[in-house]
Order: sequence, then structure tokens, then C-alpha cells
Amino acid sequence: MDSSKKKEGRMQTEDMAEKKSSRRDFIKKMSIAAAAGSAGLVVGGCSGTPASEKMGLKWQEYFKKHYRLMTQEEKDATVTRLERLAKLERGIDVQMSDQGPHEQVLFGYAFNISRCKGYMDCVEACVQENNLDRRGKTQYVRIFEMDPGQLDPTAGDGQYHHEVPVKNKFYMGVQCFHCENAPCIKACPTKATWREPDGIVVIDYDWCIGCRYCLAACPYWGRRFNWGDPEVPNEEINLKQHYLGNRMRMKGVMEKCTFCIQRTRQGKLPACADACPTGSRVFGNLLDPDSEIRFVLANKKVFRFKEDLGTDPKFWYFMD
Amino acid sequence: MSKVSYVTGLFLGALATVVMMNQAATASGSPGSESVKDKIEHATEPFDSMKVTTAYPLPVKTVEAREQYQGGGFKVLARKDQITRFRCSVCHNDKPVKVQNGVLFTHSDIQLNHGLGRNMLTCNECHSIQDRDFLVDKEGRKIDFDHSYQLCGKCHFRQKRDWLGGAHGKRETYWAGERVVRNCTSCHSPHSPAFPTKMPATYSLPLDE
Repeated sequence: MDSSKKKEGRMQTEDMAEKKSSRRDFIKKMSIAAAAGSAGLVVGGCSGTPASEKMGLKWQEYFKKHYRLMTQEEKDATVTRLERLAKLERGIDVQMSDQGPHEQVLFGYAFNISRCKGYMDCVEACVQENNLDRRGKTQYVRIFEMDPGQLDPTAGDGQYHHEVPVKNKFYMGVQCFHCENAPCIKACPTKATWREPDGIVVIDYDWCIGCRYCLAACPYWGRRFNWGDPEVPNEEINLKQHYLGNRMRMKGVMEKCTFCIQRTRQGKLPACADACPTGSRVFGNLLDPDSEIRFVLANKKVFRFKEDLGTDPKFWYFMD
Repeated sequence: MSKVSYVTGLFLGALATVVMMNQAATASGSPGSESVKDKIEHATEPFDSMKVTTAYPLPVKTVEAREQYQGGGFKVLARKDQITRFRCSVCHNDKPVKVQNGVLFTHSDIQLNHGLGRNMLTCNECHSIQDRDFLVDKEGRKIDFDHSYQLCGKCHFRQKRDWLGGAHGKRETYWAGERVVRNCTSCHSPHSPAFPTKMPATYSLPLDE
């Protein structure tokens, strides 16, 4: 019953922008009232208990808008609700942000394939930072050990178990490349994924219906699907979260690298770039002619993976 | 007569179609669908990264670099307070030393592995004999420990050029705000600069899984 209500809420997104105070608002109000009432019944008539509060919050969450259609007040409200729900459900004090993009910023990334030594500290840092499912071993960043001359990471070995670096091998990292012309965005039937003004391709987890069209459309294997509820131990949860970033996902939604939106919008480097001990990962603002990434693009030999597809990724590989 | 007007009509129709298609093509080339390359080429104005107010100074000791990168001045991580027995002249002076303190004094913990084969460096190729609190280059100029890039760059000039620009080494935590980059010696041990081999932190599943 819950899921059918959720779906109904989703199908009406498009009309919502035009028709203010319509049937939808009425349903919303009614449903909140109904939730409060039914919750009251469940807990034996007394309202204001954690159980009824949780249920009320969940009902309001079901009927919220698509992130891009929300006003700032509505964004703040849903963030507050999600923080409260995390407290009620898991007893953790999440600090969630809905910080928007900075002007004159377009994020870009460069990966030095001649410097990377395959330590995989980036992979581990990403898992910790982004609250990735520990049981399903979800990873946004992957590193492959490659033979010289090879440039297809599907043929590389990611499960090496020996001391690295090995002579006559190189290491290639892949993740979401945040394409300017992203096929995943075009494939999404619910517009749950889009490119933000600062170039980050994000997902509204509450709007994703889990059809996995984007997964099939991405030529870089950049997207991950939650086949079950992601499991992260309470003590390992990163409490600094972003609505479009590392907040807890649910069963049946897509997720992917967001260039650590919760970090980069605050001026920090993504967790992978920060964790890299070799300096193979260069991150910065493509619109700043003085930035490190622009220096790499201007002075090093760079290439992009599958550039001929016309996806225009903002992730370059370079070598010394 | 009617045939001529029919042909003219056909021709005009075809022309209109071509014009409309052209217009559609120009419309799809609007700023929204600009390629990354175009966007980069249009961006010539330096970005004031101090606008990102959440990038506040880190609680790490930094010094103003004595060189400039493409965006002007920047800072490097300080080195001197990382050296456990600095200042060196506390021991390296004219006062006599007791023999029983020899083990502590001889730097026996340092493994020197810098340079290849016959070109392996010795202590005094970088450390000044005259003033132990400084490094020294081949021309006899004293170089501060905090500014070791000035010495390293004498041989590793390609790496230094890349480091200044940002293709070698890394920034400390922030991409925005004041530019603070790691010093050469923040990542490389000066006595054995090659990175050690070690076990990977985890493993990656194949891409299509």
C-alpha cells in the first residue's frame, strides 16, 4: 500500500509545477491527517510518541516533490525530516546539507596512470565517506591492474592480492565520469537523475524507481544498484551528509559517485583525491584557468575513456 | 502552367524544410549543450576561490612558498617542525661529544637510497657542512628545510614544473580557498624517495558485476 502511494506521488511530478493547491495538495493534507490518526490508533490512542512521529514524518516524505521542483524552504524541511528520521530510526545525529552549486564552477578530474601504484586507499576512503553498502561491497571507485598497452579496464584485474606496485603493470582507476552529455540522464524515465550546474551528475534517490535503464545506458559502468537495503554499521556512518550525495540509500534505487558532493561544494577535495598517497588524483574547477586541473589539461598528455562515444566526460587520464 | 506552380511549390517546400532543420540544429547548439571543451575555452577569467567560504585555513603549519604558480603565490606545508631533532646545530657544533651518546648521535636509523647505482647520493650532497641547519645546492646556496623544493628541483626539474602547476603532488584537503600544497618531503622520504611496495587496502570487483 505504501509503495502504491509512493508511485502515485511520483507520477504527478510534472503537473505539480503548474497546478498549485490542487487535488494533490488535498491528498497530501488528507494523508498526513490519516497517518497521524492511524499512528495514533497503532500506539493505543496516544499521539506524540516516537512511533507516531516517525510515521508522520514518513508520510510527509512520501509526498514531497522532486528535488529540482522544491523551493528552498521545502528542501530545508525535507532535510530536517530526514535528520529527525535518522535519529528516530538509528539513533544517530546526521548533519544533512542541501547546499547548492557555486557559480563559475565546473568540476573536473584527472587521473595519472603513470603515478598510481594500486594501493587502493581511494577505494577504501570512498566506501567510508559515502556510506556504501558493506554487505554487498558496493564501490564507486575501482582500480584495475593493467598490462602495458591495454586500455580497457574490463580486461584488467581488480582482485590482485600481492604487494603493489608490480613492475611492468599500470593501474587505472574508474568511477562515474560525470559526462556533460550523459547517456544515463537521457535514459531515465522519471528524470530522477540530472546534471547539476557545477557538472555533477546526481540522483534524487526518492524519485528513482529502480528500473536500471541508466545502468544499462552508461558505457563506463559508473552506476550501482541497491539490490537490498544497504548495510552500514552505526559507528561507521559518515554523519556529514548531502541530500544528493551520501545520505542513506534504500533498497531498489540507483547510486553512484557524486564527486563527494558533500565535500566538494564546501571546497574540499573528494575523499578519493584526498586519500591518495601518490598524488595521482587531480581535482578542481575547469572554469578557473589557474586551477591544477587546467594545468594538467594544458600541459600533459591527456585522453578520455571512450571519447568517440560523444559522452563528453569530465574525467581525463594523463601520464607524466 | 499548373505543373510549373506544382514544381515551384515542391521546391519551396523543400527549401523551408532545410531552413527549419538548420534552425533546429542551431537551437540544439545553445549554451545548455556546450561541450566541456567550449566551456573551458570560454572561461578565461580566474575564479576567486576565496569565495568558497567553507574552505577555511587548516590547522597545519604552512609557509609562504618562495616561488609562484600560474595563479600567483601559494603555501607549502612546513617541514622543520616535522624533523624530530631540529635544530641540527644543537648537536652539530664545536662542543665535544661523549662516546656513550654516539648511537643516538650518528643517525644510524637513516637508510640512504636516493639515486641509482654509482650516482647514489651521500649526506653532504644535500646537507650543508658549514651550517647544519640548512640544505645546500651544488652552487653553495643555502636552502631552508621548509623550501626543500628549491633543492629537489635542481635535479627533478620536470617534477618541479609539474608540482608548481599542480600535475605532481597534491593540495592539502581543499580544492578551493588558499592554495596549500604538500612539500616534496611531505610525501617522499628525502633519504629514500621511492614509494614502498605494500599490500592494497581492498580489492575491486570486475566492472560488469
